[in-house]
Amino acid sequence: MSYSYTSREAVCNSQDASSASVSLNGHSSCSASGGIESNITIITCPSQSDAESPAAMKVKGVPVTREEELIKNSVITPEDVLGLQNITTNYLCGPENNVHNIDFTRFKIRDMETGTVLFEITKPPVPESARNKRDLDPSTGRFVRYQFTPAFLRLRQIGATVEFTVGDMPINNFRMIERHYFHGQLLKSFDFEFGFCIPSSKNTCEHIYELPPLSDDIMQQMILHPYETQSDSFYFVDNQLVMHNKADYSYNGGA
Amino acid sequence: MSLKMEMDVSGVSRAPISVLPAAAAQPAVEAKATLKPEVERPRCSSTPCSPIKSTVSGYQILHMNSNYLVGFTTGEELLKLAHKWSGGTGGSGVDVGSEKPTAGAGASVASACPEAFPASPLRRPLDVGLHRASRIYKAKSRYYQPYDIPAINGRRRRRMPSSGDSYLRPTGLAGAGVGSGEPSKALHGPLPLCLLRGKRAHSKSLDYLNLDKMNLREPAADTEVLQYQLQHLTLRGERVFTRNKT
Repeated sequence: MSYSYTSREAVCNSQDASSASVSLNGHSSCSASGGIESNITIITCPSQSDAESPAAMKVKGVPVTREEELIKNSVITPEDVLGLQNITTNYLCGPENNVHNIDFTRFKIRDMETGTVLFEITKPPVPESARNKRDLDPSTGRFVRYQFTPAFLRLRQIGATVEFTVGDMPINNFRMIERHYFHGQLLKSFDFEFGFCIPSSKNTCEHIYELPPLSDDIMQQMILHPYETQSDSFYFVDNQLVMHNKADYSYNGGA
Repeated sequence: MSLKMEMDVSGVSRAPISVLPAAAAQPAVEAKATLKPEVERPRCSSTPCSPIKSTVSGYQILHMNSNYLVGFTTGEELLKLAHKWSGGTGGSGVDVGSEKPTAGAGASVASACPEAFPASPLRRPLDVGLHRASRIYKAKSRYYQPYDIPAINGRRRRRMPSSGDSYLRPTGLAGAGVGSGEPSKALHGPLPLCLLRGKRAHSKSLDYLNLDKMNLREPAADTEVLQYQLQHLTLRGERVFTRNKT
């Protein structure tokens, strides 16, 4: 079930229903937003069968790929990353690949059952003069770390709202693939298509995840091994990788 | 369900940041992240109805429900903390803990950063207590930091982080999350490779090898340093051997 408040349709495809956390990436360097029109879309991800175990979570029909091979390619496609079986150790593209100036300016997650907002963050635009005064590697802005509590693992339905701006180029077929891993195993893979984005616009999209219950054993392992749950978020425009963000997670409440 | 988005002609949202009614019944939310806590927070011009709660590397955390999320940080903050720890503790193992200044923090800060103070023949006027505390911490740092690089020509070198540093490995620190004022908790757990490799790949200095740029200009001095370190290592080895004998 999906709701759309604009004339543009967005399609959400979920390839893995056993999800313990939502896509929480989407942080990049901020850019000024022109802002002509705001598109608001709520997307519900249909849940799939829970019959498959995490170990068997592979995209059917997609050949297995390796990071070492992909990094040699000049262009990386969605099918390339769908074949990855492990978290990447390197970024598959650099910040300079974001030629469309896609910038995430706000992120929020909430528990759909209670409406409780769990986390909300925003990023004001950085002045042009201050953008070049960063001494650190620009890739440091592409990584975030979350410290969840064990209670987070018991949530069933989570809505993740993402607000982003785009540059002065139209964006065709904006798509995000996010893959979560734990101990070398693919936990879940999310695949969302944002569709078309008009130039110089600010867009908001909420993804609603149906989270199946996790076994106590898996939850315990994820709690006992902080930051060993990791994710890669790949963003594509016209089936070409333009952004790659990373995150890792702990579920022990910081203990 | 309906959403509203108000925007001005420049595209900046005017909509107040919504807080769901259920949020009012939640326990007190404490923004726990690597942040700079402030009592009085300025209001952002783009969201006049909502105060800025905390900042992390330019991000503004507007809401964090501590029942589910106790910490958030970015790669930039993690690297900053890592560099700070390497320069602050120098591998001494001393838990610097909170960044907040406390009574006697002058002593702990000064003594926890022995490398930050260049060797000088002039004796600095210090409070007796401070001097004593700094002496104790310096002694500890010598024990826990056998690879202290002494000052050469009045210039003290900073030991750069290496992969063997303890803060890069999971620690057994218990306690609250990052936002409780103890940024060290954000480092609980190894830094991701993408951060370390990214730094090394882009670094033009040799610091990550625990060498100094002066190596290229003053090779003689580096030889002396390496010889001193080698002698120091040998002496420590003999001391440990002697201790085991007894």
